[in-house]
Amino acid sequence: MTARLLAGLAAAALLPAVFAGLPLLHLAPNRLVTGAPVAASTALGTSLWPIAALAAGGLGLLAAGRGRRTAGLAGLACLGTLALLLAGLGAGAADLTAGQPFATRARLASGAWAGVIVLVCALGFAARRARLPGSGLMAAAAVLALIGGLWSAGRLDALSLVVEGRARSDALGGAIRDHLVLTLGALVIAAGLTAGLALWRRGRGAVELTVSGLQVVPAVALLGGLVAVLSALLAAAPTLRGYGISALGTGPALIGIAAYLLLPLWRGLQAARRATGPDQLDAARALGLTSGQTLTTLRLPLGAPAFVGGLRVATVQALGLATLGALVGAGGLGTLVFDGMAQFAPDLILLGALPIIALSLAAEGALGRLEAALRRWWPR
Amino acid sequence: MNRIAPAFGPLALGLALAAASHPGFAGLIGASGRPLAVGHLAELALNHLALAATGLALVAALGIGLGLIATRARFAAFRTGIDTLAAFAQAVPPVVVVALALPVLGFGGPPTLLALTAYGIMPTLRGTVGALDAVTAEARESAQAIGLTPAQILIHIELPLAAPGLVDTLRTALILAVSVTAVGALAGASTLGTPIVAGLQNQNIAAMLQGAAATASLAFLGDALLLAIGGLRRRD
Repeated sequence: MTARLLAGLAAAALLPAVFAGLPLLHLAPNRLVTGAPVAASTALGTSLWPIAALAAGGLGLLAAGRGRRTAGLAGLACLGTLALLLAGLGAGAADLTAGQPFATRARLASGAWAGVIVLVCALGFAARRARLPGSGLMAAAAVLALIGGLWSAGRLDALSLVVEGRARSDALGGAIRDHLVLTLGALVIAAGLTAGLALWRRGRGAVELTVSGLQVVPAVALLGGLVAVLSALLAAAPTLRGYGISALGTGPALIGIAAYLLLPLWRGLQAARRATGPDQLDAARALGLTSGQTLTTLRLPLGAPAFVGGLRVATVQALGLATLGALVGAGGLGTLVFDGMAQFAPDLILLGALPIIALSLAAEGALGRLEAALRRWWPR
Repeated sequence: MNRIAPAFGPLALGLALAAASHPGFAGLIGASGRPLAVGHLAELALNHLALAATGLALVAALGIGLGLIATRARFAAFRTGIDTLAAFAQAVPPVVVVALALPVLGFGGPPTLLALTAYGIMPTLRGTVGALDAVTAEARESAQAIGLTPAQILIHIELPLAAPGLVDTLRTALILAVSVTAVGALAGASTLGTPIVAGLQNQNIAAMLQGAAATASLAFLGDALLLAIGGLRRRD
């Protein structure tokens, strides 16, 4: 009981301590410099106290309390805190930049990021403990709706990240589209190759060795090597250019990304193949099922979860690797990240990085759910 | 000899790739651009090695240390969180960690080390927990029955039995370390990734090929080393 109370007190003190110790905003004369830190009391003004109190209540309740109803209440408190914090930061940034030169930027600082991350994690934790059907999905949707609502109402417009996003909304949309095309393209190529390799029964050992050996090659080296080899090939046989083959661009990026996806897909496929035991196959044969019927009634239902597991790992890897595609001129969200690094502009880096992280988490969550659902559907 | 046989494949590949990174080879296959001199490439390789080794030491110490703590009976409550956390940590690709660390830590080695630690720690932790979980309860209980203290059980029973799994975990961590260090070239760290990134920007195909071959060679040689260590540790 005492331990629980102490944990509750520590959790309750977490966000107030963050607000007291770390700056919430940076006020900079332009988009490239870090600027002067702005403490919580200046950034949030009088709304600091309700925000800190609500955060302390929500986190303390989550750590000290037990039971589903307490967890639900704590989750609601965290969501409320998040809403107030974001709106407060937007208003604070608007106040700070009002009357300043046009290039002045109010950038989210370490305290704001720490606060948002702690609140979102606490919300996820509370949603899991509340154990309502689809509570995790609801929590994610609530956070997205909250940010979307504040964005479209213009309450966040003074924040540097939003200024940068509005200035580059076309480039951002195109980059997200390119990123998804690269990811899906590489997945399709890798899945086709894996299926083809699986048909080659004799060479299973060789395939296993090659596919795991490819994983050892660092991604930057593989992409660089592919470009070098392709350009040497084009220099030797210039007629290939006529067929639309080029050393830079989407081609080498797709090949490079797909090469890394072979291992998770291959592992998934093999695990799916092994999911059906020999005795189950014997039983199916004894029942007089044809091989087609065995496939649809036995092999697919038993193997599907393992394959979806491999697909989940491959998709998350593909989304991350597609970032490097920008290195070889294939576009995607990496373009924004690398531009930001070249200009030393933190907001531009974040503008590219946040969608990548969001896409990866969404893919991980969605395919993980599908995997779990398939396992529940056909219990073994 | 049999025990280190699995290391021969990566060793041969690593040596072949190291030979392919020699400036003479780029000229041989007719790659355009200015190849790097052997001395400069060796300097980059040493830098790469030093940075990757520092990162690997950090990741191994933190990941295995936390894994040892997480597998103690007292901390059983935290176990369920580790897999979820590991999955979420993997959702942030190393390039993005390097990029995000750049404004905070500046150019060069520090953002690379941070990215390496942040990206490597969860797989290492998960691998350590998996390796220690593979130690059977019977082995632990019989050690307890003959009166060993928990510390003695850890040193004499759990760690030797988990050694193959731990070496596999370190192999993954080492490959990650070499790969993330190459990405660190984007943050201005002077590694074997530098000729690749610079080569892509100014169309220096020869240097790009050398950098790519040398980076891959380093990864294969490291992998061969750990495979050999793992083979020697295994008792027949």
